[in-house]
Amino acid sequence: MKKPASRSLIALSTSALALPGIAEADAPPLTSSLSYKISNYQEDDLSREQVPFGELERYDIDVHQFQFISPLGRDYALFIDANHENMSGASPWFSTAGSNGQPVINMSGASGIYDSRSEVSLGVRYYGARGNIGGAIGYSEENDYRAKYVSMSGSRNFNNDLTTLTVSLSHSDDSIFPSDAERFNRVRHENKQASSVAVSLSQVLNPVASFQTALSLTGQSGYLSDPYKLQDSRPDGKTQIAFSNSLRYFFIKADGALQSDYRYYRDDFGIRSHTLDLSWFQNVTRSFKIVPMLRYYSQSAADFYTNIDDFLKPLSESQSSDYRLSAFGAVSGGLSFVTDFGGWSATLTAERYVANEKYSAFTVAQPSPGLVQFTRLSLGVNYAF
Amino acid sequence: MLALLAACSQVQPWERGYLAKQEMAWDSDPLERALNDHIFFSKEASSGGNTAAGGGCGCN
Amino acid sequence: MSTNLRHAGFRAMGTYCEIQLYEASRISAKRLVRRLIDEVSRLESKYTRYRDDSFLSEINRSAGNQAGIKIDIETQKLFEHARSCYEQSDGLFDITAGVLRRVWDFSRRKIPDESELEGLLPLIGYEKLNWRDDTLLMPANMEIDFGGIVKEYAADTLATLARELGVRRGLINLGGDFAAIGTQPEDRPWPIGITHPEDSTKMMSHFHLSEGGLASSGDYERSFILEGKRYSHLLNPKTGWPCSGLRAVSVAANLCTVAGSFATIAMLKPEQDAIDWLTDSGLPFVFMDGAGQIGGPGLTDSSY
Repeated sequence: MKKPASRSLIALSTSALALPGIAEADAPPLTSSLSYKISNYQEDDLSREQVPFGELERYDIDVHQFQFISPLGRDYALFIDANHENMSGASPWFSTAGSNGQPVINMSGASGIYDSRSEVSLGVRYYGARGNIGGAIGYSEENDYRAKYVSMSGSRNFNNDLTTLTVSLSHSDDSIFPSDAERFNRVRHENKQASSVAVSLSQVLNPVASFQTALSLTGQSGYLSDPYKLQDSRPDGKTQIAFSNSLRYFFIKADGALQSDYRYYRDDFGIRSHTLDLSWFQNVTRSFKIVPMLRYYSQSAADFYTNIDDFLKPLSESQSSDYRLSAFGAVSGGLSFVTDFGGWSATLTAERYVANEKYSAFTVAQPSPGLVQFTRLSLGVNYAF
Repeated sequence: MLALLAACSQVQPWERGYLAKQEMAWDSDPLERALNDHIFFSKEASSGGNTAAGGGCGCN
Repeated sequence: MSTNLRHAGFRAMGTYCEIQLYEASRISAKRLVRRLIDEVSRLESKYTRYRDDSFLSEINRSAGNQAGIKIDIETQKLFEHARSCYEQSDGLFDITAGVLRRVWDFSRRKIPDESELEGLLPLIGYEKLNWRDDTLLMPANMEIDFGGIVKEYAADTLATLARELGVRRGLINLGGDFAAIGTQPEDRPWPIGITHPEDSTKMMSHFHLSEGGLASSGDYERSFILEGKRYSHLLNPKTGWPCSGLRAVSVAANLCTVAGSFATIAMLKPEQDAIDWLTDSGLPFVFMDGAGQIGGPGLTDSSY
């Protein structure tokens, strides 16, 4: 229908599309759905150059994710999420200078630090005439960590549902009680809290494109150091801000969609980062699509990062050789196959991630010897009923 | 910004079929998003973006 | 994956209904059809005027009640669509016009006199409905009904529900109001025959529907002829007398609800106004005018 639309067609279509049985934007789900995803995450072994003594193996994690969504009456929906992870492997314990002065890693024992983790969360959302509002509570537990959290968010539509404003808030309360605390002289029991607020604005640009911009602000306080590192002392507060922009564009001739997401992050540990995610959803048949994806990430180093631990430094001064606080870049690529039949849908995903100081967009004064590479494989299924 | 919004009202309501496709959603696969957020939260220093922080874990 | 065309016929909304869908297994098709029938029954029970326990009847009983009645989101949105129809039809499509049924009797060919109609006109007028947030305050003796909206909305809702349950190809038919899900295999549209208003064994036109809706409106079923004059059951809310315009019209649009609104409003307008208005919309349509002539850009090979 190429003819420019009449006023009547616009008006009648607008009110018809707002009807709950038809509405696509912000309507409560009409059906229930159950999703399950199993993943295996495997980090590459380190090399002998990086680890002169001890275990070379890093993490190997299996993840199980469940999600259940159900309409509750006409205007509400219920969300239940549960996860379980099993992990084995070792992580860097401390860094020293090797025989040629280069930083080398000393790994923790192969028995692993975190054995398994379980998490459950429950959420409810109300869908009104012009938007929706909802909240969730959650709890997660590991043998050395416990977290409780609560979140709330609300959306409001404007401009014939072409514009949406969303505000979300969350708060979490965590406890850390490291394993083998006495034996290794670790802290016994510490706490940490985090509060966060985010605002996002989405806008439909044309029949095939929409754009979203968002800002989030998070404050953390309490024990923020890593108790499993021999010398790791971080400030007892952290403020972080993230600014993200996303685009969704559908190419009609190609029958595919481009998803592009960019985030700029900054915190008062001195870390700044850029993240760029690109995915292309290619429809092959009505029930099969292929999705290649690419991600580029780069961060600067924390002000107190050092790639060789200085054991003479007092604990009152911040210091960490955690590779996650060093300057580096990471490139990851992945491929997903998505198929659906009847009420079922299945997704198979493979991803490869490589972190390297050479990929960094920021100056690397002290490259970490412990940067990670991993491979991830996932299989997910979803059933609507 | 206002001029951009005014131009955006050109999208006719019945033309939203493309925007409603799964691949055009902000979150096409919520479990994938949650998994990635969790992995990158524990392997990198950044977090957050379009929603307020969610759950906690001992991995960072 | 081989899929078969499954059919299920049932009665709902006072008429014969049918669901056709291409579905892999008979079991899932059965379960699917049951879900769809449940949803149609829900809408029928909620909005029928033939049952005292329907929500619509409850709304009508609240007329004159100072406290008003709280309206849920779905019904609020139906009122908003009804208002949109009222505005786009310059007041000819008015869900408060049902009170005229009190003095007209089409089955017994009873014509009211002018004074009876004049007594009812003050009770008609969408603008007379008052709202306080989500509470409706309806003046005493007024009445509303969602005829001309609910059946078409139900067809669209069933199509959306079927799509969410995984149906890729299907056709919903609720007594002549159609909503399509995808197309038939190999991108072939759904062929729909539009019955001739005067001879139900003949086709007025054929239509090919892909992913959208088709709705028809006509006065052939309930109108009557008395002393050479034709009385359509479609009444003008401003005068109380029947409209005399097109005899039948079928419209296709992206949604059955939209198609239905266009068809119903077109029937209420004077003939030439209706044709011009429909042409202006750009939608495919077929009509039969007062003289029995068939026309419209939606004839035979048109598709939406």
